[in-house]
Amino acid sequence: MASLAPPRTISRRRRVLVENLTAYAFLLPAALLIFIFGLFPVAFALFVSLHRWRRFPDEYIGLANYERALGGLAYVAFFWIALGFIVGGLWLLWRLMSPPPTTPSDNPEEKNSRQGRWSWREGIYLLPGVVNTAAILLFSQWFVLLLPEVLNIPRRIRGQETTQGLFVSELSKSFQVPAIAEAGNQAIVLILIAILLSLVVTRLVKGSGTTALLRATGAALFVASGTLMLQITLATINTAIETARAGGTELPVWSQIILISAGTGLVYAAYRLWGRAVRAEGDRRFIGLGITALLLALGGYLLIGELPRLLGTADRELLNGFSVTVMYAAFAIPFQLMIGLGLAYLLFQKLKGTTLFRIILFMPYIMPFLATALVFSLIFNHRTDSIINNLVGWVGIPPQKWLLEPLGVGRLIFGEATPTLLQGPSLALVVVILYTIWTYAGYAMVVFLAGLGNISNELYEAARIDGASGWAIFRRITLPLLSPTTFFLSLVAVIGTFQAFTQLWLMRNPAARDTLDTVSIVIFRQITDASPNYGYGSAMAFVLFGVILLLTFVQNRLAERRVFYG
Amino acid sequence: MADLARPLSRPSADTLTPRNLFPWTKVLSYAALIFAAGLSLAPFLWVLSASLMSTSEIAAGRVLPGNLLFENYPRAWELSNMGLYMWNSVRMVAIAVVGELLFCVPAAYAFARMNFWGKQTLFTIMLSTMMIPAIATLIPNFLTVVWISRLSESLCGEGCKWLDNWPALTIPFMATPFSIFLLRQFFAQIPQELFEAARIDGAGHGRFLWSVVLPLSRAPVMTVALFAFIGTWNSLMWPLLVVQTDTWRPIAFGLLKFVNNDAPNELHLQMAAVVIMIAPMMVLYFFTQKQFTEGIASSGLKG
Repeated sequence: MASLAPPRTISRRRRVLVENLTAYAFLLPAALLIFIFGLFPVAFALFVSLHRWRRFPDEYIGLANYERALGGLAYVAFFWIALGFIVGGLWLLWRLMSPPPTTPSDNPEEKNSRQGRWSWREGIYLLPGVVNTAAILLFSQWFVLLLPEVLNIPRRIRGQETTQGLFVSELSKSFQVPAIAEAGNQAIVLILIAILLSLVVTRLVKGSGTTALLRATGAALFVASGTLMLQITLATINTAIETARAGGTELPVWSQIILISAGTGLVYAAYRLWGRAVRAEGDRRFIGLGITALLLALGGYLLIGELPRLLGTADRELLNGFSVTVMYAAFAIPFQLMIGLGLAYLLFQKLKGTTLFRIILFMPYIMPFLATALVFSLIFNHRTDSIINNLVGWVGIPPQKWLLEPLGVGRLIFGEATPTLLQGPSLALVVVILYTIWTYAGYAMVVFLAGLGNISNELYEAARIDGASGWAIFRRITLPLLSPTTFFLSLVAVIGTFQAFTQLWLMRNPAARDTLDTVSIVIFRQITDASPNYGYGSAMAFVLFGVILLLTFVQNRLAERRVFYG
Repeated sequence: MADLARPLSRPSADTLTPRNLFPWTKVLSYAALIFAAGLSLAPFLWVLSASLMSTSEIAAGRVLPGNLLFENYPRAWELSNMGLYMWNSVRMVAIAVVGELLFCVPAAYAFARMNFWGKQTLFTIMLSTMMIPAIATLIPNFLTVVWISRLSESLCGEGCKWLDNWPALTIPFMATPFSIFLLRQFFAQIPQELFEAARIDGAGHGRFLWSVVLPLSRAPVMTVALFAFIGTWNSLMWPLLVVQTDTWRPIAFGLLKFVNNDAPNELHLQMAAVVIMIAPMMVLYFFTQKQFTEGIASSGLKG
């Protein structure tokens, strides 16, 4: 904001202000809804998951719900998440103080020798940053105190006759509960101080202004919440160890944390080394690959030895849910994408009737799950003379029970001697997978088609002049240039299959036992039970959320190398 | 870049294959496409045919009906009380579509064409909410809606309550990040000169949005409206949670109840009911399939 002549500055500033206010007015309704029903529920679910909470809020129980869900893995996971928050905060701090990215700055000895290398002046932003964080934390405390009080209103007024103002008067009463009112007042005072301080500091200190302020606040917030989470985790771990000791056993939580971390670290190091070793040459390549194998073996040994023991106390249903979900995703996604790509490739040629084919192939995607799933379950009926059994009968396959079949396909094909690992998804799950492919292949096709349309024609022309074959063109030009689209689709597909619910819920049958119970189903059953457990359900939902985040992150990292953005 | 104006059906040239296609390549392509299209269509064709059979014919795995039992339709319609549920769904869809546009269009416009403090941060936060699994927000959202319902009921009486009423069904889903994203992509492509011209004529943002941007953006607006339509028409889980009376239960509930309770053994009537539920979507889809596919396509381009 360079200062121009005074009168123009004022009008300019006013215009900016008006523009800002108009924009906020435009945004407000949507932002409010997204906040209430999209963002706030996450914090709310976290809050619920930390409590004993059936229909109404009860006492705080720390990480007990997560212990129940994940067994010993909960300690490891939370320990690392807490550390991750703290490290993330420190990293933001480093970003705040470090000089512009043009100069590499990892040499601590040089920092005093050259002036302006480290911008200590930015450090002053930590002051409002810390105060902002304190204000946010105090506000959260007020909210956390208020929430159960307010949520309990319906229960408190249950017996009384409902008059117009009753709920509202109860609501205002909840704000006036001494502890809550006090916390609220403190929060308001601190928020005012924080705003004032932020404004003063951004005005007085010349520098990166709001960015620095955001970074400083973020750093403080991350470190503070990380510390808070670490505290909760340590308390939970200590309680667990003591409980075990009282029962006469020793709970090796710490050694487990160390072993699991070491195992994961080794596997990750192996992955990094592998990437380098493949590119190296001669002896170095050989040595690199050797060390990779060694690291992988060691890390794998640690993980394989330790993980089952950790998960030994975990919730069987949830673990089964995850294995079903992983199988579902692993079989549905690749086929869905490959078929989609193949169809898009075919449609992209100059053929007559392309539009008609597109219309037909995309249709399954938009039809109601309920209706199509119902049709599928009739087609894949277990009766010996059902349509699908007639169909497979032509090929000489004996009638199957399809959606009622809990046995794995591997076992059905190769007989009873098949080892558990090779039995694969149950036939019932295979039907659901087929249904999913049928539904989503058209979607993938349409997105791929758009991606194909974006590849410039000249590349193909050039390749053709060079005499490249059709396959070479596809392999060397189409696939790499399509990789952003593929990446987007696989991301959407992973998120989608991990959340999949309706089709599985509708096709479930007691006869197929728990082979269709994905994580979402396990959670939904928990909360629609006759005596629902919202606390535990939320904890499981959060675990699912964490897994999806982790997968997205891993996919992003993998894609960094392989996705080619034109 | 999301180029919404490009028709997907007309690729710019015969880009992928060498110029002189051998006829058998073409034949194979057609064969593969026809096979795939057949698989896509088969369940729909079969349900149409099954809706005219008798239950014993369906159970026997017949593909075509012996006698065309057209009376299945009126019977299914009556037994399932489909008229009521369909009317509920139509009302719900109307509210949801109008609400979706009211909430998303201004927000998308703000993200596309206005400068304000925290724009990038807010946009990122909004997009990241798309990753949150629906099942994770189910419990808290249900608790929130129950609570809001009690509050509004006590503020202005029975008629304002959210549960068993349209607000609980539609309001939580009116501001969809995906729709805002889609509209923003399109709005951002409208040339800045148009806005400059409008401003010289004395039009503000609201005016510009209403009389320039919206008329130019019929296609994406239509897409968003269609998505809201399908989402509402197909919704099942959330209505199961928040509606306990027949006055607002949607068509998916009607079908589920019909299949599970009213006619668990009359497969032919079930299939007729399925056709009744699918039919409006089919009609809508065939008239607007371009918007559907182009909306989906443009969503995928910016990964």
